[in-house]
Amino acid sequence: MLAYVIRRLFYGAGVVLGVLLLLFLLFFTVATPDDVARQALGEKALPDVIEQWKVNHGYDRPLWPWQDFDDNLFFDHYRRMLTFDFGRSDADDTPIMDRIRDGVGPSLALTVPMFVLGVVAGIVLSLFVAFFRETYIDRMGVFLCVLGMSISILLYIIGAQYLIGKTLRWFPISGFDADPSVMLRFLALPLLVGVVSGVGGDVRFYRTVFLEETGRDYVRTARAKGAGEGRVMARHVLRNALIPILTRVVVAIPFLFTGSLLLEAFFGIPGLGALTVDAIQGNDFSTLRTMVFIGALLFVLGQVATDVSYALVDPRVRLE
Amino acid sequence: MIRVLLRAALCAGLALPIACSNNPYPDSDRDAAVLYTTFREAPRTLDPAVAYTTSSHAVTGNVYDTLLEYHYLKRPYTLIPSLAVAVPEGRVLEDGRVAYRFELRRGLLYQDDPAFGLGEDGRLTREIVAEDVAFQLKRIADPAVNSPVIEPFRVLAGFAEFGEALAARRKDDAEFAALPAHEQYAALGPVDGLRVVDRHTLEIVLREPSPQILYWFAMPFTTPVAWEAVQYYDGKEGRPRFADHPVGSGPYRLVHYNKQARMSLEVNPNWHGVRHPEWKAPGTLFPSEGAPGDAEKGLLDAAGEPLPRIQRIEFLREKESIPRFNKFLQGYFDTSGIIKESFDKVVVEDRLSPEMAARGMKLEKSVEPSVFYIGFNMDDPTVGAEGGERSRKLRQAMSLTVDVEEWLRRFTNGRGVPAQSPIPPGLFGYDPDYLNPFRKVDMERARALLKEAGYADGIDPETGKPLHLTFDTYQTSPDQLLVIRFFVDAWRRLGLNVELAPTNYNQFQEKVRNGAYQIYMWGWIADFPDPENFLFLLWSELARSNSGGPNTSNFSNARFDELYKAMKVRPNDAERRAMVAEMRSILEHERPWIELHHSEDYALYHGWLDGVKPFGMSFPMVKYRGLDVAERAARREAWNEPLVWPVWVLLVGLVAAAVPGVVTFYRERQ
Repeated sequence: MLAYVIRRLFYGAGVVLGVLLLLFLLFFTVATPDDVARQALGEKALPDVIEQWKVNHGYDRPLWPWQDFDDNLFFDHYRRMLTFDFGRSDADDTPIMDRIRDGVGPSLALTVPMFVLGVVAGIVLSLFVAFFRETYIDRMGVFLCVLGMSISILLYIIGAQYLIGKTLRWFPISGFDADPSVMLRFLALPLLVGVVSGVGGDVRFYRTVFLEETGRDYVRTARAKGAGEGRVMARHVLRNALIPILTRVVVAIPFLFTGSLLLEAFFGIPGLGALTVDAIQGNDFSTLRTMVFIGALLFVLGQVATDVSYALVDPRVRLE
Repeated sequence: MIRVLLRAALCAGLALPIACSNNPYPDSDRDAAVLYTTFREAPRTLDPAVAYTTSSHAVTGNVYDTLLEYHYLKRPYTLIPSLAVAVPEGRVLEDGRVAYRFELRRGLLYQDDPAFGLGEDGRLTREIVAEDVAFQLKRIADPAVNSPVIEPFRVLAGFAEFGEALAARRKDDAEFAALPAHEQYAALGPVDGLRVVDRHTLEIVLREPSPQILYWFAMPFTTPVAWEAVQYYDGKEGRPRFADHPVGSGPYRLVHYNKQARMSLEVNPNWHGVRHPEWKAPGTLFPSEGAPGDAEKGLLDAAGEPLPRIQRIEFLREKESIPRFNKFLQGYFDTSGIIKESFDKVVVEDRLSPEMAARGMKLEKSVEPSVFYIGFNMDDPTVGAEGGERSRKLRQAMSLTVDVEEWLRRFTNGRGVPAQSPIPPGLFGYDPDYLNPFRKVDMERARALLKEAGYADGIDPETGKPLHLTFDTYQTSPDQLLVIRFFVDAWRRLGLNVELAPTNYNQFQEKVRNGAYQIYMWGWIADFPDPENFLFLLWSELARSNSGGPNTSNFSNARFDELYKAMKVRPNDAERRAMVAEMRSILEHERPWIELHHSEDYALYHGWLDGVKPFGMSFPMVKYRGLDVAERAARREAWNEPLVWPVWVLLVGLVAAAVPGVVTFYRERQ
């Protein structure tokens, strides 16, 4: 298995290097350092000031190795990213690593409980509708899932802020406090939105998996031996449905670190999702490059982790 | 009791026992004089030499006091002394240069900060001296600081040379470059135009007259800065950077700074208004005189009260307008703008709606010192100066077609004053009786002018087809394009074929740099309240094509330039007014711009806030505001009582829906 993991990581490294190349082409040739400087300094900045900004940020060097092999932006870009020396934000000169360190806590405070609650709610609800299969509870459940999947998360957010925050006045409409004693007050609404908006797709998928399992021989055997339906679902079906569930769950885990773009932006949570949105809106290209790179890295790791998790939960799977 | 039990049940039911209130603030702040306000974009920097955005100025304007400031109530805007003893008068020197002498008040202190080290008196501060202002001005000249306002200070004698010498020496001498900034500045020797006469007196010498320079001393750019703070806050060994840790002398000091989420300011006990109320210095007491109408609005009720009237300011980040406005309606923010989506609910017939008035809210409208316009590229052969009379008439005809009142009604909820010239109301040179003959809709005259230009019915005689022009814009969203399409449609009625060419911002800039554009739309918000700050946008020496300056229309007119130079250095007298009027006439005739509007700010605030007068420019005036904390607490509680019954309805509904299914399911199985 180790050889397999190493091989997959090797392929992943190729993907990451390719992403870095695309990032360089996109951020240094499509949007030139001049453009970046102008965005950072604003419309009123004069040419001299723009030139000086480029000098101060190291953007005054040649782009390509054939222009100056020893000192060029192309090699520098690779070196920095691969050594996790992300440099400073184009927008405000803050070290990007500091911003990532500051943002990862609030992001995880939202995404981890949202992920756990989402998985638990998805499994419980799908077991529930699978248990009552082919009744109107099942049909109504599927209908609500499709309905839930069809609605944009933006509508969930605005609707929840209006209904729960403004009309029912249960939770603050937005905001964040890192103090653990009050953090939950602010996270309640985004958590609710995150879980509810994602649960429809999960329930539909898990329900299908469970229904497929309920038709198998071992389930019939369990029933024949007198096991109750609840026990069959919870002990036998759930355990055997774990592999497809894992596929969906494990691949999502690495992305918990990158936060949730929309939820963080709308609920004022200063996490990595909000950082990425800020970088997009503020043309902070150095931060954006870093976040895309981290996303690519996490994607590769997520894929490898999924494969490994197959082998761990299912003895039939061997990674060669 | 039942209500308490219900609420407890709700909380328990939702497994969120501490979350059952929509109050985002700690209970301990209930009766505190804290102003709650918002910011949208994280400040890029709090270095006063660099900070140039609204969110940065919200902090730097309160933390850094300036030598001069504006009178809070008087209009037109009037400069008053702040850290300086008096507003200096210009003195013409023998060589024709002009000197301004600033005398600082004695005994001014910086806020307490570890950067200063423990002084003899056991305090972490020191006195503000004239050298600190000179240091800050040198920082503006320093290329490494990247100050965006370097240009207006080039008028200081020796200023530009200092910056060049600094850059050159750093390049050649690594040892010099490693020195702290203030030692580098000292090593280069004195700057001719910055003379520290004594500990409390600074004289600046301008190469040529420039009365507008005084306005810059009412902005945080020129605040005194302690070299110790710049040196200490270097971002090393766990210390923040100076750009993230302001050390000022203003009415407030920054006590919490998480620019992604929250910034808190508290009263600075070292501010001279707090330490020396007996000075009764301007800017430390609420003014006792204002503009006509201020007394009737109750703005003089707080006359003579010591400032600041609010003890703490909480800036909370709200990126999205809808939640921000909803929290204002709940009473959790004290002030707000009006979002487009709720405009009709808040403003009815240009006044506050009865619903909002009943909640005790107030509305203040003010015209901002700004101008928005459609510009022509005067270097273009078709619409520009090269085409002579033919192009001029084309521009005049196009100007006569744009119905700005209808445009404002459709796209800005009517917020904005139609512009007759570049100069907005409230500024010297603005004439309320002046009506630009080309800024009204007159299709008949427009068609006649077009015919005289050789484009009868909009047809280009060279092609036999409608004259094809291009409107370049960096707006790409459908909403934004709709705003511009309004003008294109208006010109189409003249028979012209104006093509909309949306590109991204960078491509648009590229086009502008290369002169590859004909028509564009832009705006300008004043740095200071003087007609010069608008008319320089059309001065040929700042043309985009030859200097990269802000004259994007590349307008060049010898008489306009001559008047501009003369007007720039004159005091506000009748002759200056006449010069501005003549420049306005040139623009009226030449039409490098089609003036659209001066933007209007609608500020909404709760009745518990007093002393609110919109200022127009980006200067924080929080120190003048007052709060009725008891009323705010009472209103908030009344407006935000949680509704519990929907939970029970929901639960009962879910059970009622599920029970028959469950019963049927088990019955069938049996």
